[in-house]
Amino acid sequence: MSSEPIERRVAYIGDRLRGTRCGFCGREYFKIKDYCGACGRESFGKMESIDFFYEEGTLEFCTLINEPTNKFKRLGSYIYGIASFHNGNVRFPGRLTDHIIRDEEFSLEELEGRKIVPRFRRRHAAEPSGIVPTISLAFTFADEYYPYQEYRIVKPSKEYDKPGIVGYGVYTSKFRIKEGKIERAIPFLDEDAMTASVEAGKMALIHSGIDHRSVDKVYVGSESNPYAVKPMASKVAQVLKLGEEEAAEGVQCVDAVDTEFACKAATSMFKDAASLVYYQGSKGSYTMVIGADNSQSAPRGEPGGELDFFVGYGGSAFLFGMCDVIAQFEGWVSITSDTPDFWRRDLQRYPSHGGRFTGLPAYFKHVTKATNKLMEKLKLKPQDVDYFVAHQPNAAFPTRVAKALGFKEDQFLPGLQVAKFGNTYSGCSPIGLAAVLEVAKPDNRIIMTSYGSGAGSDAYSFITTSQLEDKKPRQKFTVGYQAANPFLDYVDYTTYRRLKQGMNGN
Amino acid sequence: MCESSLNGAAVIMKANSPTIVSGARTKFGEHYEREPERLVEEAGLTALNSASIERKDLDACFFADYFLPITNKIGLEEGFLSELLELYIPMEITRSFSSALSNACNAILAGKYNCVLVGGMEKMTDRWDKIRDDLMLLEDPWSYYAGSTPEANHELMLRAYIKKHKITGKQLETLNTALAELSVRNHHNAMKNQDAHFQREISVETVMKARLKERKPLGLFDFAPISDGASALILTNFSVAESYTDKPIHILGYSQATDYITFPSRNNLTGFNATRLAIKDALKTAKVELDDISILELYDQSTVMGLVSLEDLGFCEIGKAWIDIHQNYERDKNYYNIGSNPLFINVNGGLKADGNPLGATGGAETLEVFNQLRHKAGERQIAFDGELRYGCVHELEGFGTKAYTIILGRAEDE
Repeated sequence: MSSEPIERRVAYIGDRLRGTRCGFCGREYFKIKDYCGACGRESFGKMESIDFFYEEGTLEFCTLINEPTNKFKRLGSYIYGIASFHNGNVRFPGRLTDHIIRDEEFSLEELEGRKIVPRFRRRHAAEPSGIVPTISLAFTFADEYYPYQEYRIVKPSKEYDKPGIVGYGVYTSKFRIKEGKIERAIPFLDEDAMTASVEAGKMALIHSGIDHRSVDKVYVGSESNPYAVKPMASKVAQVLKLGEEEAAEGVQCVDAVDTEFACKAATSMFKDAASLVYYQGSKGSYTMVIGADNSQSAPRGEPGGELDFFVGYGGSAFLFGMCDVIAQFEGWVSITSDTPDFWRRDLQRYPSHGGRFTGLPAYFKHVTKATNKLMEKLKLKPQDVDYFVAHQPNAAFPTRVAKALGFKEDQFLPGLQVAKFGNTYSGCSPIGLAAVLEVAKPDNRIIMTSYGSGAGSDAYSFITTSQLEDKKPRQKFTVGYQAANPFLDYVDYTTYRRLKQGMNGN
Repeated sequence: MCESSLNGAAVIMKANSPTIVSGARTKFGEHYEREPERLVEEAGLTALNSASIERKDLDACFFADYFLPITNKIGLEEGFLSELLELYIPMEITRSFSSALSNACNAILAGKYNCVLVGGMEKMTDRWDKIRDDLMLLEDPWSYYAGSTPEANHELMLRAYIKKHKITGKQLETLNTALAELSVRNHHNAMKNQDAHFQREISVETVMKARLKERKPLGLFDFAPISDGASALILTNFSVAESYTDKPIHILGYSQATDYITFPSRNNLTGFNATRLAIKDALKTAKVELDDISILELYDQSTVMGLVSLEDLGFCEIGKAWIDIHQNYERDKNYYNIGSNPLFINVNGGLKADGNPLGATGGAETLEVFNQLRHKAGERQIAFDGELRYGCVHELEGFGTKAYTIILGRAEDE
């Protein structure tokens, strides 16, 4: 059984890597201190809060761990060491993550001295009924898959009459399984929907350049929250410090909520986010919508195992506001019907998939209907649309639906990402949208139609602005970068299942 | 006031100076078949017996254990001791044996007690499945959360040592060999120690092979084992000591110091500042020069901890201990020539071979110096040209978070 107070304190400090700087001598400490060892009593009340969440550090010394303590056993072998930050001013311990130790020779000396970035991860295994422990004392090399990126807050320069997307982020892991033409992202052992949500949100903040304190609400859509009851959005809000922080009580002045509707849990909230920032007018507030999943599936050969060929891992985060918009909302339509094509009952590990409704009565009916209704409403013909993105549980469905709706390959292929990451459930159509935003030009029209089993579709039309181009250089960790990256680690089916099972092995 | 001169130096023993009159221990190792109380009983009763001390003579008891509340679910160790020995006297629980001994010394010096039992025990193998997690959480919770193991910080210290002192190529090979030689010597010494956890010779190759197999800077043979065991000493004041034994051993100086719990956050990553502070203070109190010490019990939980501790204590130059270790290994396997006098280190086999039942370890170290100084160490009694008069005990808690140093001395021969 976890101790709730200890978990709360360790995560509060460890997730964000909170520290303290002496206002007198500048000495820095990991963890929260009211007192500077060098300056003594004079430093009371003069200590400043700092954190190392967005910082780049150096792996000073490291060693190999073959025989971890019990709670780290699932990690097998890993590199553990001492990282220093701010030119050696502060040092703390950490393990190298996203790093599978294989049989080949390696030298600790070559790893030492390299730049690292802290990563928000599961801390270690926990009882299935306990609190999920997290920490950012996990590092990856800054010159590999996940680059170091500065989070620079930019003052908004232009206000729009309609709300829109002000920035976005996509996160998929470094690990892939490749079967035929389809590649799928796999979480590392210490990753889950919660860690992907935080990563995507972090990327969206970096891309948008907005002040994290100006986010008033965050939605996290997922169907693979490690908790049946307890929001992931509260973790996201605390780690990313969304809204004004009341440091004395350790609370963030932000509304945070989880949403669930199979694969459309996030897209459903786009219109809520837009309405919210529009309602609040030009007060400079933003709303974040995250969609992330460690997409679940039974192993092959078991009931529901047919999904095991398609499930992916990853997430997206979109920030909506009235200022410095890169794509404005033009319109939206949603449809819903009570169609049980895919479900997971409470206490079941894996979703079930009837098969009877999967194609025509579910996906095709809803996606087609929602898209057609939106185009009718906005009086659009297929040629008026520059890009079309549909939910993509596989490559065949979105291709077929796009063609049936009258779209051509150059309209729908840029948004078709499922063959690179797998079906990332709630993150799926938003990742397609993100991929399109990376290649779109100003004044392009993008239609995105999601699909969530159960069932329903949200269709949106966006018009890009000139600020789309201004913000592109701010994000190195793009969809394109993650899809084709020299540091991707390809694993076999056995390893894939092991990674998918995570720190607890279930 | 009773006064006695030690070695002609200006060491004046006052009436209430702490003095060890007897001691005992169990075999260290895996005592699956014995309850913790059986081990305590064996060590405690043997110590009392050997100096013919009755329980009624005891004024108090200072008892050390790290983990009994965790390993054996014994939270109120005092009650358990009271029931065991039918003792109703004041008792205090501490973590390390040296800590219990220091507290006992304080009480004797203050004149509060005349005769006390200092004991220590650990039953680590009763919690075989979780003891490494416990050890790591004891060492530092944040390092634990970051994925550390009880071995990892030792290896990081070695990496830091190599870098700081710019040891490369041939020299690095020598350093790695020297570390292995510390283990080999420990195992060799334990051949004469019936109570040791391990009684078998190992070779430098054995140590090296384990490192290679594990692809790590330090391997299985670089680390002390997880042991069960108990140890006990009877401490009295100087004025009553002679009524129990004709060969009392005096605690001339004892000191301790404390450092950050999180090793990576310390300034010094290549040694233990706590040891450096503690030895300085202990020598000053004892009015003894480092060079006068002939026997040293080093807290070598790992070979690298032994290496840096030799430097921290001042026996070797900072960054150079490996040279001394290697040269002395080639020269002679019995003692070290690193000062102007021979220095015997870990004659009982050290933590590596004698074993490391945490709460009892310091007791075994002190007992060894006690027996040696009394010339009652049997088969492993050390001998050299010159007088065996002073010994030093070094003990650490955690990964150098606390350091204890104790200087022991023998009264001048009649």
